[in-house]
Amino acid sequence: MRSRATDQGTVRQAGVVESGTGEAGEGAVGVDIGTDEKTAAAEPGTGKDAAVAGGPALALAGVSHSYRGRGGTVTALGPVDLEIARGEFVTVVGPSGCGKSTLLRLVAGFAAPSTGRITASGRPVAGPDPARGYVFQQHRLFPWLSVAGNIGFGLRGTPKAERRARVAELLELTGLGDVGRARPYELSGGMQQRAAIARALAPGPALLLMDEPFAALDAFTRERMQEEVRELWRRAGTTVVFITHSVDEAVYLGTRVLALSGRPGQVIFDRASDLPYEEQPRGRPRFAALREELTAVVRQAASAGGGTAA
Amino acid sequence: MTALDSSTGGLTGGPVGGPADSSATGPAGSAPARGLWRSLALRAGAVVALVAIWQAVAMARIWPPVFVPEPLAVWEQFLRTTTDGVSGYTLQEHLLTSLRRILLGCLYGVAGGVLLGLLIGMVPTLRALLGPLVTFVRTLPPLAYLSLLVIWFGIDEEPKIWLLLLAALPPVAVATADAVRSVHEDYLNAARSLGARRHELPLRVVLPSALPEIITGVRVAVGVAYTTVVAAETVNGVPGIGGMVRDAQRYNQTDVVVLGILVIGVSGLLIDFLLQTIDRRLVPWRGRT
Repeated sequence: MRSRATDQGTVRQAGVVESGTGEAGEGAVGVDIGTDEKTAAAEPGTGKDAAVAGGPALALAGVSHSYRGRGGTVTALGPVDLEIARGEFVTVVGPSGCGKSTLLRLVAGFAAPSTGRITASGRPVAGPDPARGYVFQQHRLFPWLSVAGNIGFGLRGTPKAERRARVAELLELTGLGDVGRARPYELSGGMQQRAAIARALAPGPALLLMDEPFAALDAFTRERMQEEVRELWRRAGTTVVFITHSVDEAVYLGTRVLALSGRPGQVIFDRASDLPYEEQPRGRPRFAALREELTAVVRQAASAGGGTAA
Repeated sequence: MTALDSSTGGLTGGPVGGPADSSATGPAGSAPARGLWRSLALRAGAVVALVAIWQAVAMARIWPPVFVPEPLAVWEQFLRTTTDGVSGYTLQEHLLTSLRRILLGCLYGVAGGVLLGLLIGMVPTLRALLGPLVTFVRTLPPLAYLSLLVIWFGIDEEPKIWLLLLAALPPVAVATADAVRSVHEDYLNAARSLGARRHELPLRVVLPSALPEIITGVRVAVGVAYTTVVAAETVNGVPGIGGMVRDAQRYNQTDVVVLGILVIGVSGLLIDFLLQTIDRRLVPWRGRT
């Protein structure tokens, strides 16, 4: 704790110290989605206000990731400098192999960056934390637990009655109302991914990280899930970082759309968008325009970086 | 040969012969039900055929009854040993004593094996230290260290339980260690990002996700323990099914020996069936994730 406090001193203002009270995550548990973040969601880009409450939702400074390959050190990502304000829905596209999943894993704390620093709400990222929920491409629900058991996994500290109510609420929120007792493998792909989202939301994360969560779904389910996630985000207002290889998905969901270059992945496109607030974004001319522009960017990045087109 | 076959049908195969025919005459029920009947009929048929061959060989008197007793003689021994007993105990007492030893040995062995496997799988230093030892013990035939156990623990229950423990432990330890090492990283990441502390992971994530392999290991272990119990009972093994067989061998009671072998085999099958049922209950997700 002590070292963390001094770390923070170098990063941001005094307000930061307050947010550093609870030990990893304790402060985040019990944060109800849909309360204070909601207001932030209504006005995207109010990063300055968020800073007062503990810095931007996410800040990356000079972050890169490299590993030792056969032919020496390979840099997969970076350097990346990025600041994400509370309530933003950030989508990240890029050619395959550009390190977009790596980026998300670093933010989650699953791995440590080779260089640079990552802070979430002003606190340095040093390992996984319930303040940052994660949705995997494969649902990764625990097969030995029921759906309700999976969702309740992150609510261990809360009293039983409260936990049960919260699980029921999340089941309702994700449209899983009556399958709480089922086992994950008994659900369809879409429902599994909904359960995975509910599980990630359970501890009340300030940041929701989604790694191509709909890539394995069929086109129809996928489209419906996009709509649902957009709805969920609009209601809950949680900050979301969403990795995808689909340009269409990125434009449909993102209030801020990023594109990464080919390996090593760097941010080559960064655009704010209000399309997710529209009722039928896909019908808007702006949707088509942004999608076209982004497609060109990604395609060029793929050919330049040697990766395959997304 | 055919004449002999038909005569045995009257002796032993008669009552069991019914289902064997039903595959041809019993069209009742849905397709899966018919499949079940067919497999049952096939199994019954195989048993009948085996007994028939056995009876044929015995009646051919190629070898004297001391070498190959007739099925009927074994059946009579079965009746006699279940009522009057042999070597001072009834067949049930022999069997139950052996089963109790297997149960105890396996309980200790499985508990130790899971713990050891967990440690070997999760702590690289312990893997380097204990891994070869476990492999070494696993390759030893139990009889090789029985003498040592007798010297250490005497000839009562203790060395037998120890022997079974040592036989059951390595398969469970190896299966657990492998499973623990192959737990998907994302499960651990998911749990950690849901607030699980590092020290909670073994119980909350690693063990449950390794459960399918552990149970497979337990099945192997019980099988090994079962084959070992007969060896364990060669020293002061009465009561005990292995001791019973050994006593019978001493007095050339071949029919009792054969009876003992059959009882060991059948009860082994039943136990494995039981373990399979437990497996389906505990790990309904096997092969479905």
